[in-house]
Amino acid sequence: MDATLHKQSFWSKYIFSTDHKVIGMQYAIMGIIMAGVGGFLAYVFRYNLAYPNASIPLFGHLSATQYNAFVTCHGMIMVFWVGMPVLLSALGNLLIPLMIGTDDMAFPTVNMLSFWIFFLSAVVLLASFFVPGGAFGGGWTMYPPFSAGGYVNHNPHFFTALFSGVSLMILAVALELVAMLMGGINFVVTTINKRTKGMTAFRVPIVVWFINIASVIFMFSVGPLVAGAFMLLFDNILGTGFYDPARGGDPMLWEHLFWFFGHPEVYVLLLPALGVLAEILPVFARKPLFGYKPIIYMALVSAVLSVLVWAHHQFVAGIDPRMATFFSIGTILISIPFAGIFLSFMATLWKGSIKFSVPMMWVLGFIGLFLIGGLTGLFLGSNTFDIYAHDTYFVVAHFHYTLFPDIFFGFFAAIYYWFPKFTGKSLNAGLGKLHFWLTFFAFNVTWFVLFFNGLAGQHRRINDYSDFSLIMREPYITFEKIATISAIILILSQFIFLYNLFTSLAKAKKGVKNPWESNTLEWVADSPPPHGNFQTYPVVYHGPYEYSLPGEGADFLPQNVQGKNDTNNVTQNNYEHKTATSFATHK
Amino acid sequence: MNIFPENVSTYGQEIDNLFWLIFAFVAIAFVISLFVLLYPLIKYNRKAAPKAEYITGEKRKHFKWVVVALVLLLGSDFVILYCEHDAWGQIESVPAKADVKVGIIARQWNWIFVYPGPDGILNTADDVIVDDMNSSLHVPINKNVVFELRSQDVIHSFFLANARFKQDVLPGRTVVRWFNLTKEGKYDISCTQICGVLHSKMRNFVMVESEDKYKHYIDSLYTANGRKTAMK
Ligand SMILES: [Cu+2]
Ligand SMILES: [Cu+2]
Repeated sequence: MDATLHKQSFWSKYIFSTDHKVIGMQYAIMGIIMAGVGGFLAYVFRYNLAYPNASIPLFGHLSATQYNAFVTCHGMIMVFWVGMPVLLSALGNLLIPLMIGTDDMAFPTVNMLSFWIFFLSAVVLLASFFVPGGAFGGGWTMYPPFSAGGYVNHNPHFFTALFSGVSLMILAVALELVAMLMGGINFVVTTINKRTKGMTAFRVPIVVWFINIASVIFMFSVGPLVAGAFMLLFDNILGTGFYDPARGGDPMLWEHLFWFFGHPEVYVLLLPALGVLAEILPVFARKPLFGYKPIIYMALVSAVLSVLVWAHHQFVAGIDPRMATFFSIGTILISIPFAGIFLSFMATLWKGSIKFSVPMMWVLGFIGLFLIGGLTGLFLGSNTFDIYAHDTYFVVAHFHYTLFPDIFFGFFAAIYYWFPKFTGKSLNAGLGKLHFWLTFFAFNVTWFVLFFNGLAGQHRRINDYSDFSLIMREPYITFEKIATISAIILILSQFIFLYNLFTSLAKAKKGVKNPWESNTLEWVADSPPPHGNFQTYPVVYHGPYEYSLPGEGADFLPQNVQGKNDTNNVTQNNYEHKTATSFATHK
Repeated sequence: MNIFPENVSTYGQEIDNLFWLIFAFVAIAFVISLFVLLYPLIKYNRKAAPKAEYITGEKRKHFKWVVVALVLLLGSDFVILYCEHDAWGQIESVPAKADVKVGIIARQWNWIFVYPGPDGILNTADDVIVDDMNSSLHVPINKNVVFELRSQDVIHSFFLANARFKQDVLPGRTVVRWFNLTKEGKYDISCTQICGVLHSKMRNFVMVESEDKYKHYIDSLYTANGRKTAMK
């Protein structure tokens, strides 16, 4: 079975590819491009916040309408077009088949379709900037009736309503969710059915576990939102009134549908990144992951709890005050398994032999930032303090302290760690460290000062604070400027990464198979792995984190190498590897 | 420097106290966690510790440390929940004795205030409606002011930072809440739910006045609306 031999045209190899690695990279590249868009929007409105009414370099004057649209789309893009494709789709596609020792996804064609629907969704979203009236500017939560027609376009015709910023955004989100749903089904089916010989459930690496749990949470919570999104679309283009009380509807319905998805979505984004941490920590601590099974159990508990906490976003929305206590308790409970996972990660460091490689620095930075993000969540989980803090910069700073490390530190850790595997080349470590330190400091400066602006009562999504005496005073005006300058440094630092990426890609292939001396199966394949991944399917003898096992020669023991304690009699999967031969027919 | 704006409501202090209570827990947790994270980076880096120890963390004697920490965290969470419970009930429910009643209506992009007419009852024909960007909400000092919040169009949110009070206003619902403001002065009302292009400009004021001044203001409203009132 020589997979490298079969000939493919450029189109079928790089564009309409069914190879999970190519699709994973397509998702990653789209994520990076969209991060560029989202970052540029952030630059423009942050500049406006520090220097109101100034002409913004590379942009010009920002109107109030544009400000609202930019803030809205920044949030939308970073969650749905950066976080989701990069953490769930890119990592899931690149890692799952390799880590469970198989050739590809269970449904490669569905996988390709998933990416192209995602691509279409991004095009639709970006197109919404260019329709009359511009992109939607009612916040990424899209609360009706503002988003439900009538207030955006007075008395619209069907086509004007369809090609309006709000309708296109709803369509784009719905398409994106469909794409992610296809990917999620693929991940779960692949993991259940295509694990190689010996890869029992409790030998599966955490990142694969977590991407699967995230997919299940996503599939469970997305249904109501898709239905809700179409109702919102109908309100706009057909004149129904699901959310408009003037026409017999209720906007609270949308708030429930949105957050029933919106809160679990946080964990959909968080779990894959935590999986990345779990893969990298043991490698550079040369020590088994602390509490492999408890970590899986805690993630499963959090998955169940994740659908029971949504209304903590609605503490001040006018829900029954007695209901708030229930959702407060839920919020407290769900913080426990995640705290447990983070503690286990930190415990992994103790009595290890820690090497500060570039991926490890991103991992440690992630934990440090998330510590602040998680702990400030304690203030907001309290329904009473939330009366004051809701919709202020305290909340905005809090979720940036969770989502930024999650999406970007998680992604960068993954890139610096797996880049040698998927390209056969290596990134420059010095530039990687510079990239890390600049990003880490600039992020902290940007968002730490804004906690204080939030506590001073600064509410969000305001393009011009000149009317508000509480904000228009020192030190808060200076804090705005500090945050903006530092955000610009943060954005510029990312060019170091791009430079590193392109110069490293231009270098010659070295094809080192296992540069970090890791245990998981992707490191058994060639670098880069050919179409079909493995020459012969590896057989798994033990769990993924056997580092510094006494009695072994080396301080690592790959999953496909039989250790002294491993039985020859490999635990048989219920699912015999079916694809070993089917791949041959594929070429 | 106080990190919060000046508090002028009877219940605002409870929110501030709650913040500092949570802050105490958070500070302790932060210092401990930071130690747990940073100490091994120094003690067990490759130079200081060339060889790692094989600990899977699945044995009870190892994992118990995580469990202990989680129990402590859960405990402090419930302490916080217990301590905040009274304040929540106080802010989110209306006191039995309402000294003054007023209606607050949100509309793109201003706040409209409705005062009861001479009959003293809200939502009757003689109500005085003040729909004017330049007119603040007048309330008497040290009185329980009960207000009904409504929206005429989209979702808005009534935020009075100096009272530590916030409430979303959804069209189609009436939310009844209250405050008791304890210091004379003029305080910002802002809208904290994005509601359209002039969301930033949806600002008005609460004017807290002595009983006399307040009465005087209401009387002036009645005279200005004299004909309308007489028609009743
Ligand atoms: Cu939430
Ligand atoms: Cu408003």
